[in-house]
Amino acid sequence: MIQLDFWRNRLVLFSLFILWFTPLFAEVDGEALFKSNCTACHSIGENRLIGPGLKGITEKRDRDWLIEWIRNSQEFIKSGDSEAVKLWEEWQPSVMTPFYFSDEEFDALLAYLENPPAEEVISASADVTDIGEESDNTTILLIIVLVLTGLVSVLFSVKNSLKSSLNQETQTIAETLLNEYRNFTSNNLNLAGLGFITFIILAKVGYSAMLDIGVTTNYQPKQPIEFSHKIHAGENGIDCNYCHSSARHSKTSGIPSANVCMNCHENITNGTKTGTKEIQKIYDAVGYDPDTRKYIDDYHQKPIEWIQIHNLPDLAYFNHAQHVSVGGIECQTCHGPVEDMDEVYQHAELTMGWCVECHRETEVEMADNNYYTHLHEQLKNKYGGDKFTVEQIGGLECAKCHY
Amino acid sequence: MSEIKKYWKSLSQLNEDPIVKRLSENEFVEELPVDKFLGDKKNLSESQTSRRDFLKFLGFSTAAATLAACENPIKKSIPYVIKPEEITPGIANYYASTIYDGYDYASVLVKTREGRPIKIENNGTHSNARVQASVLSLYDSGRLQYPLKSGKEIDWKTLDNEVKNKLQEIRNGKIILLTSSILSPSTKQLLQNFINKYNRVEHAMFDSVPYDGILNANQESFGIRAIPSYKFHKTNIIVSFGADFLGNWGANNYASDYVGGRNPKSGKMSRHYQLETNLSLTGANADKRIQIKPSEQAYLLSNLYAALNGSSADKRLKSIVKDLKKNTGKSIVLSDSNDKNTQLIVNAINQKLSNYSKTLDISIPCYLKQGDTERVHSLIREMELGEVSALITYNVNPAYTLADNKRFIKALKQVNLTVSTSSYNDETAELMDYVAPDHHNLESWGDAKPYYNYVSLMQPTISPLFNTRQFQDSIISWAEMNEVDYYSYLKKFWSNKGIKWNQALHDGDFNLSESKYFPKRFVFQGKLTDNKTQDKNIEIALYESIALGDGAQANNPWLQEFPDPITRACWDNYITISPSTARDFGLKNWNISNGALNGSLVNIKSGNISLNNLPVMIQPGQANKTIGMAVGYGRKKCGKAGEGIGFNANNFSNSNFITIEKIEGEYEFACTQLHHTMMGRDIVKETTLADYIKDPSSGNERLEFSTYKGKLPSNKVTLYDEHDLKTGHFWNLSIDLSSCIGCGECVVSCQAENNIPVVGKEEVRKSRDMHWLRIDRYFSSEMTKELAVEEKISAIDMFSEMEEPSENPEVVFQPVMCQHCNSAPCENVCPVAATTHSSEGLNQMTYNRCVGTRYCANNCPYKVRRFNWFQYAENEKFDYHMNDDYGKMVLNPDVVVRSRGVIEKCSMCIQRIQDIKLEAKKNGDKIKDKDAQTACSAVCGTNALVFGDRNDQNSEVAKLREDERAYDLLDHLNVRPSVFYQTKVRNKG
Repeated sequence: MIQLDFWRNRLVLFSLFILWFTPLFAEVDGEALFKSNCTACHSIGENRLIGPGLKGITEKRDRDWLIEWIRNSQEFIKSGDSEAVKLWEEWQPSVMTPFYFSDEEFDALLAYLENPPAEEVISASADVTDIGEESDNTTILLIIVLVLTGLVSVLFSVKNSLKSSLNQETQTIAETLLNEYRNFTSNNLNLAGLGFITFIILAKVGYSAMLDIGVTTNYQPKQPIEFSHKIHAGENGIDCNYCHSSARHSKTSGIPSANVCMNCHENITNGTKTGTKEIQKIYDAVGYDPDTRKYIDDYHQKPIEWIQIHNLPDLAYFNHAQHVSVGGIECQTCHGPVEDMDEVYQHAELTMGWCVECHRETEVEMADNNYYTHLHEQLKNKYGGDKFTVEQIGGLECAKCHY
Repeated sequence: MSEIKKYWKSLSQLNEDPIVKRLSENEFVEELPVDKFLGDKKNLSESQTSRRDFLKFLGFSTAAATLAACENPIKKSIPYVIKPEEITPGIANYYASTIYDGYDYASVLVKTREGRPIKIENNGTHSNARVQASVLSLYDSGRLQYPLKSGKEIDWKTLDNEVKNKLQEIRNGKIILLTSSILSPSTKQLLQNFINKYNRVEHAMFDSVPYDGILNANQESFGIRAIPSYKFHKTNIIVSFGADFLGNWGANNYASDYVGGRNPKSGKMSRHYQLETNLSLTGANADKRIQIKPSEQAYLLSNLYAALNGSSADKRLKSIVKDLKKNTGKSIVLSDSNDKNTQLIVNAINQKLSNYSKTLDISIPCYLKQGDTERVHSLIREMELGEVSALITYNVNPAYTLADNKRFIKALKQVNLTVSTSSYNDETAELMDYVAPDHHNLESWGDAKPYYNYVSLMQPTISPLFNTRQFQDSIISWAEMNEVDYYSYLKKFWSNKGIKWNQALHDGDFNLSESKYFPKRFVFQGKLTDNKTQDKNIEIALYESIALGDGAQANNPWLQEFPDPITRACWDNYITISPSTARDFGLKNWNISNGALNGSLVNIKSGNISLNNLPVMIQPGQANKTIGMAVGYGRKKCGKAGEGIGFNANNFSNSNFITIEKIEGEYEFACTQLHHTMMGRDIVKETTLADYIKDPSSGNERLEFSTYKGKLPSNKVTLYDEHDLKTGHFWNLSIDLSSCIGCGECVVSCQAENNIPVVGKEEVRKSRDMHWLRIDRYFSSEMTKELAVEEKISAIDMFSEMEEPSENPEVVFQPVMCQHCNSAPCENVCPVAATTHSSEGLNQMTYNRCVGTRYCANNCPYKVRRFNWFQYAENEKFDYHMNDDYGKMVLNPDVVVRSRGVIEKCSMCIQRIQDIKLEAKKNGDKIKDKDAQTACSAVCGTNALVFGDRNDQNSEVAKLREDERAYDLLDHLNVRPSVFYQTKVRNKG
């Protein structure tokens, strides 16, 4: 008892320690600072965007010069610093916005600029750990099997040596097994039982296989653009509704049109992982020249042909607005942790059973919606209680989804 | 006696023919070359494929194909590159616009989804089935897809250059612009530019169905060549001589006004007399209908005028004269005659009754018809004489619609330059040098001034599908005007007149403040006639069918399959003839074993015009010794769906005397209703206004069942557990049989909304028509149950006589769709629970669950369930637009396209209900009455169909349910429908 308490206390202390330090770590995250403030005009590489690429900038200029420039470049230029004036002559009329960071923030930012991340290594190592975990399980199982087999043979040899010491007939393992098998098969009842069990197992397997026809959970097709939700929704924290804006209003969530991409990618020409290769595909669609930063006149635009992942059959009517706006369901409930997905896959089964299950359990938020006011009163009288599921307001009726 | 008999197989065997002997010995005449095949050891041993291998391959490929079928196909999701600001995928946009094709006019709202027009809704006024169907014509791949020169494709630039050069070269000859009535003020001004640009340009207008009589009469009487505006709701008495004003006569918005004056609840209903030849939609709605021959109209109108001035009336007119005299200033007399003198008499009668400026007003004229047929006749003469050098046509098809089209076609050869702007390579266009195809209405800019002081605007709702160009833009190009395009011209035209363009375009229409027209004083100078026609001649009366009108939209499968409200036949025109005249000529209609209707064939002849092999439809209500024929059919060049259907009746004209000759053979009709009387049942409950005023529930006796508790009304007797219909919504539809005029606009609206396929004539003959909503039409019979009791007629005789409609029957229309029974016979029998009941009082049909036993259809007492026999959307045998890529664009994306092998039926437009509910939930608001509308109720111009939530105490439908006139169809079955009817009230004398 005492021991257990001891460990519990340690655990609490440890987690408190982590909680206490987490914000500290976050505050000095140079990468986050860079991404939220600088990427609109600067790349971490060598490309020129609105401003110059920042590769090797910490070697080129000293720390104080950089801080002075970032704080307020225009005043710095007016002060007559020769390098600053030279830069201004090259880049005007683009004016860099002043950023008044704290000293810690400057430290973090400059540290980040000094050691920009090498992405490939990270993803590769993630893969390695994945494989490692899986092989661990198999080894354990193999070891167990070996140990058990060894145990059986040891027991057998013990039994045999005991029997031989009593001058009884001894049997090898194979002979025992064969005899047992003969005994078993000579009995019809045993055979029938075995047949029945086999049938049940096969039927179950077959039934499950049939149920799985057309179920495409984990469907993860390769998309025409290597677009990462992890970077956009996860790391950069862009709201789902920013791109999938019609989810709130319409039955479809809407794949964003290329002009929505261009809201940011007019400036961000360089991707975190893929460089310019994938972003160029957007420019090819809309007709944009990232070097001159101008749209090409009379360009024959071609839409981006995404592969649809979530395919409901034609016979089922699904409306995003009903679930997102009225029901207040989080996107992740059905689409899974999209913010962690580099390449999106189908998270939910999207079967009718899956829909129905949710409709049986989900309670309808009736307060603060005048549409439900009268119905709510009626339901209270009909069923008693205060909370009602989707099923209770008719959410399982056929023609709610099939028409 | 055991003699062995020998039988010979043939005479040759008896004669021991050597060949026969050899044959009988040798069963296989030629030996199979087995040895040769197996003997070829070398080939066999070299072959890599053994029989077993072959079977393995076969098995493997079958398995592979099966597995491949399990694989889901890759679907693409293609977003816009630049999303238009106003489009949210999945949300419909509505645009106010105008439909005008030279014949039909309507101010409409166009529903678009992702930039595609998919449905027409009315913008305040009544329209008709053709306006509803025009959205399908937009996606007709049979439209011209590029400009033509002598039938071959050319580009616009070459066409413009060549046309302009040829126009400039003309020195002496006339240049004629031949168009339909032009409603557009801006187009008229635009044409003036063209007229000024070239030498001797003249603009001639003509209507496919001429209105010269009434126009010329009003010109003479009042100095204005227009149709007066009618105010039917202000009348007590309406007397129409042949004018089918609820159908196709004049403007097509009289119906709402007409029904507005016939509300039994207010205690006031106009009394409507119809004196006509064919049984028209208007005649079917009349309180009293009198059959006359076309040639009698002038005499009867003269007699009526004389009788109003004191002389004695024809006995058929006695009650009319009495009613009219009592209601001066509160009546309307009108006629469809195309004879100026007859129309002058009509004017004189209305003048005598002081109706002008009370119930009809010439100072508020209607400009829908402006054509001048006389001008067309003189044009043909000029063309024959070679005086015309160029002819440009717009919105007209004279080679088809003109009575003397053959002369026109011949004279066309004398014209140097001929240009058509038709959307189709039609009968006229194919004869022209150039075709500069016009946009469809829904792709065009435009305006229309159909009435005094009122203008509606037309705006495009989709980019042009084909390489076509709007007529007005062609004129701008040919007149070498300094304009960007017609749109900027149009915008400037109205902005200069002080119209707020954006607001006007949003509303779709606006009013002008023109000064009223002051007509000149009317003095009657027409001639009265007392010339009764000879009774023995057979006369002809042409009419435009409710489905096709003048035939401009003949290639529209929705319209071709639209059952005529009166005959209930589709995909045809035919001769209508009265039962007794048919007997005189030995003409018959009969049903074959599967119920389909067949009819006799005739040849008809009038002077040197004749038509052969015409089918005969026996039509109760048709005047004796007359025949009726619908124009608009017999198109030779209009596209795959409409070509070769029916015959062209345009060569005849009204009141031609004809001879009929019965010929051998029979004709197969596609008739959607096979029984024409109610057989003494009260399917449509009826009463008269007088009875209704005494007792509002008259004619609507509620059925009572004898139970152990005594007599109880049906809604108190049930064995079933009842659905809880008090919680939430309870959607109900009320159908007022007094207001329903049977126009069928709702039928096409339903077809457009719910992706209902067209099945074609052969399938309709097999009763496989797919319409979810039908309008039953019943004729009254001379025999009634009361009469049978009185005259001691046996039941069998009574029923066989009941089958025969009267010679001049009363007609009732009854829209029937799924009644959404709350104790539904269909739901009980479905073995797979594919049809179930909703908590909102709807009978739901789940197609993906249906296995097609059709048990439900058998058990449905209303016969509203339709079985989907074929994959109509993917079937080349059903070539009715739905199977091609253009035609598919009209499909409603919110409604599933049903596969074959399932039952389908009216869903009460559940997609609309769900949409309105979602909208309310999003806004956190209650659903307001009338917000939710079904496709049928939304377009009903007479307010006969009222949809709403019965649990909303203030809704109109809740009040109508409590009305004394409300009744359930087939009440005795006690199936408790959510659809109910209101008794028909007639204002009989």
